[in-house]
Amino acid sequence: MTTGAGGNTPVPVSRRPETAAAEPVGAAQGKRSTAGDAVAGGLTTPAAVPEAQPARKSKRGRGVTRRQRPLWMLAPGGTLMTIVIVVPLAVALYISLLDLDQYTFREWTSAPFKGFANYLEAVRSADLVHSIVISVSYALLVTVITLPIGVAAALATQNAFAGRGLVRSVFLVPYVLPAFVTGTVWHIILQPGGVGNLLLGHLGVPNGLWLNGPRSFWALVIVQTWASWPLIYLLTLAGLQSIDVTMHEAAALDGAGWWAKLRYVILPHLGGPISLGLLISFLHNVNNFTLPYVLFGVPSPHDVEVLPVLTYVESFQNFRFGLAAAMAVWSLALIAIPLAVYLRVVRLDVGSDESQRRARR
Amino acid sequence: MDAKRRLMCMAGTILLAASLAACHSGSGTPSAGASTKLDGTGKTLDVFMGANTIYPTQQKQWFNDVAAKFKAETGANVTFETFASANDELTKIQTSVLSGQGPDIYLLGTTFTPTAYATGAFLQLSADDWKKVGGRDRFLPATLGISGPDNDHQVGIPFASRPFVMAYNKDLLAAAGIDKPATTWDGLRDQAKKLTANGVYGLAIGYADGFDPWKFVWAMDVQAGNPVVDGKKARIDDPTSLTAYKTYLGWLANDKVVDPAAVGWKNAQAIAAFGAGKAAFLPMVSGSSKVTLDKSAVAGKYAYALMPTIPPGATSLPKGGVAAASILSGDNIVVAKYSKNKDLALALINMVTTADSQDAYYKTFGDLPTNADEAKKLQSDPALAAIVDSAGKSKGTPFNGAWSQVQLALLNVVVQSIPDLSAGKVDEGKLKNLLSQAQSTAQSALDKTQ
Amino acid sequence: MKTRSATVTRLLPRPLQITVVVLLLVVVLGPVSYVFFASVNSDLSVAAGDFLPHRLDFGNYARIWSTVDLSTGLMNSLIVAGTVAVVCALVSVGTGYVLVRFAFTGRVSILRALLALQSIPGTLILLPVFVLFASVANVLSVQIIGTRWALFITYLTFALPFSTWVMVTYLRGLPAELDEAARIDGASSFRILRSIVLPLSWPGLVVSAIFAFLLGWNDVLFASVLTNPQTRTAAVALTVFGVTQEGGAIPPYGQLMAAALVCAAPVVVLYLAFQRYLVGGLTTGGVK
Repeated sequence: MTTGAGGNTPVPVSRRPETAAAEPVGAAQGKRSTAGDAVAGGLTTPAAVPEAQPARKSKRGRGVTRRQRPLWMLAPGGTLMTIVIVVPLAVALYISLLDLDQYTFREWTSAPFKGFANYLEAVRSADLVHSIVISVSYALLVTVITLPIGVAAALATQNAFAGRGLVRSVFLVPYVLPAFVTGTVWHIILQPGGVGNLLLGHLGVPNGLWLNGPRSFWALVIVQTWASWPLIYLLTLAGLQSIDVTMHEAAALDGAGWWAKLRYVILPHLGGPISLGLLISFLHNVNNFTLPYVLFGVPSPHDVEVLPVLTYVESFQNFRFGLAAAMAVWSLALIAIPLAVYLRVVRLDVGSDESQRRARR
Repeated sequence: MDAKRRLMCMAGTILLAASLAACHSGSGTPSAGASTKLDGTGKTLDVFMGANTIYPTQQKQWFNDVAAKFKAETGANVTFETFASANDELTKIQTSVLSGQGPDIYLLGTTFTPTAYATGAFLQLSADDWKKVGGRDRFLPATLGISGPDNDHQVGIPFASRPFVMAYNKDLLAAAGIDKPATTWDGLRDQAKKLTANGVYGLAIGYADGFDPWKFVWAMDVQAGNPVVDGKKARIDDPTSLTAYKTYLGWLANDKVVDPAAVGWKNAQAIAAFGAGKAAFLPMVSGSSKVTLDKSAVAGKYAYALMPTIPPGATSLPKGGVAAASILSGDNIVVAKYSKNKDLALALINMVTTADSQDAYYKTFGDLPTNADEAKKLQSDPALAAIVDSAGKSKGTPFNGAWSQVQLALLNVVVQSIPDLSAGKVDEGKLKNLLSQAQSTAQSALDKTQ
Repeated sequence: MKTRSATVTRLLPRPLQITVVVLLLVVVLGPVSYVFFASVNSDLSVAAGDFLPHRLDFGNYARIWSTVDLSTGLMNSLIVAGTVAVVCALVSVGTGYVLVRFAFTGRVSILRALLALQSIPGTLILLPVFVLFASVANVLSVQIIGTRWALFITYLTFALPFSTWVMVTYLRGLPAELDEAARIDGASSFRILRSIVLPLSWPGLVVSAIFAFLLGWNDVLFASVLTNPQTRTAAVALTVFGVTQEGGAIPPYGQLMAAALVCAAPVVVLYLAFQRYLVGGLTTGGVK
């Protein structure tokens, strides 16, 4: 038991791949409980627990009796989300079936019903397909690039050093700055005669047009990466806190170097937070409206015609609410498919939940 | 333990609720009440206008003055709400119209008046209503040009006038031997060529601006006889438009009278360049640039002049052309139909459009008055000559519910031409493609108008 | 003993750690320092793209308070974002706890649905949400729009899916043996949540609260339509500085940058205060 998770490095990860995130923790828990620790609150030591488990397993089965499940805790959140998100979403779906524009929206309930005409119009316009492609590819790129940066930052600020608190807070600043300030600042930096090109000139990169044309896509990726890497950083940092010292000790005892420890102990444990971070980052970037809007303006240059700006313009400037709603629904549907696939592959939705593990035992 | 805990939770929630409700304020929905002879006691008018970042404290002062004066006159309160950008105002209009509650009075940019009219949510002024605001004759006829599609269906009461003019550097022109700016676009280009030397460029243009580019194209089109929107037909792919775009983009690509960095410039960067003395002409600015330029290196060295009124390729106004010096630019006041205090609103509008009020407003903020008497007084002020002149020679953009989409289509042609422009060329084939795309977008928007 | 533990828990070798920190600091502080320099520069100079000011002018930090009602905005933002953060963290730990520790039909569906809700763009439901609140006002005569309640309800709801998921992933990393032991002793789920799970969840709570706080702090879209001048948040007040007046007044860049830093400061300070909770929840005090 002393070598536990850190020792036979490949074993914990490969034995139960679907609960990869859980296994090292489980092994660590076993170790910790045999150390005879007392749980806060003066309750029985969990040392007794592993022995007691098999005996009670059949009785408790899935964890707790049905009566004891505090499902009422789901109520407040659930009610709020239903009223404030689901209902308006339903209204928005209804709007997408209407011919709602500046001429009809005053009496919007009696706007002409168009059925799926808006959806057809949205698809036929080359703009929608193009903008979905741009949005998705830019979001993917940003997500993928911010991953190593965020994780590295979390790893680097985990161990104490002088001024760590300050450094951690400074790292948060790009995420805290309002999107339109970030956009304004970078818009000035990326001017043809601006600081950006000046610096790049020193580095030998040819100057060019960053705010329009083919490079504008990369400008967007760079600026968004700069602004959103703290998301992954925060999630990873939180995840790192649940790693127990004994896991480190086991790895040290095993003589694992820092890279091996990272690869086989730390990173697998971070699977949950990182997977979530990637997903949320992707969704936020796909729906990010303010940054591209302030950075590039409206109408967007062809290479950065992202979907949120398109729907915003259709909705709030052209007053074509029905069409804009249809566009947004199309994008939701198209994103839902890879989302579902991602959830399956990463097992984020089922993860390492206790009930699952016990049932398998 | 549990019950106590639950009690504490509830207490906490109540405290939370209390703090949230602490400074609860109503949204300005006026209380019901019989209004006899304009007694507004107990009623509140809500006015929605743009935040003035150049004169913020003066604007607050003006709000207080107007509210005090109106209260003395009618006993009603006036609250002011400000918005940051035209988009915010549009969103506010949408939410207010959808829910039937919101500000009673809106100050709209003139170019948005047609869209507002198309929603049908704003009061169309009858002859009686016009009397209540002081009479149509009180206003400069030119400023009424964008109040409605015709005289019988007007929603906008002109409030302030901000026509567009061109600033020029007197010293640079004198040094080059030019006594005044040209009145034709070709002439301006030639002058700019003479002035481009030693790091100074002839023209400062913000190609990447979100507002300006289409105004140049519109002006050149209208001067050549193409109103861009002819009834229900878009005329973006007319040869006059092609000429206009070629001229506008050509200043940088072919004539080389604009700083190459201008492909990324917004209006602010163009002004900064002119203010640093790096450009001789700065077209498409209004009187609000005075504040900025007076703080710059060219303070005292610049003056305003009319923008050219003869289209490119001509030396005199062609047949059918209109000598438009500027779009009809400024603010209109509109009253929401859902307002429960229409008469009070009209009374307030009456109050702020008297010659005295307009005089005070002009002196504080620099926007030209729309009150005819007041405007006449300013005509004799030499510093304002060009601006007043431009106000008189302004032409309204087509009064059409689809205009904002047409405007976006015009702008889009410039945006998509910038990559080529930054490489220093104007591809005519591509330009024609973009124009036909813009034409179809604009036409389909126009087809939906009612 | 302490040094040994420090060596053992070291994740990256010292030189690498320093390199990463320094690199990131440079990358982050580069544009941020530009924001600072722009805030003490003249607007024309910023518009022209100058990085360093020719003359320092700290007056912008004083002007921002009178150009817009920034103090009211900051107070409103603090109240709204603060309450949203606290309530959201608490609600999400409860919801997350149920979703992680207990099995029931629909559990996985709820988890998936929470993620699906995250993908809904704000612009799609802005007008329907407004209409919803306005209808409530008409039907129930309870004015929500224009009060801080409107923002509170909206932000809380929008922040919940993500915060719940943060707690879910975090709680999955906590050993279940702890609550099982307590349950043997007859403790109710609520007690377990309060006495065992909550103290150990500080890292998750802090991160969850940060995201909720930032949502309420930086949102402009909903705040601009759901508030009136007295309840306006700082984020909306800030947009006034970015106004480009058509025709020639350049935006007050200096004030914009100064206000941006002033508005970002409270969040950074709060994080500075709370980030100490992001230190080994399990290794310090929890289980030992």
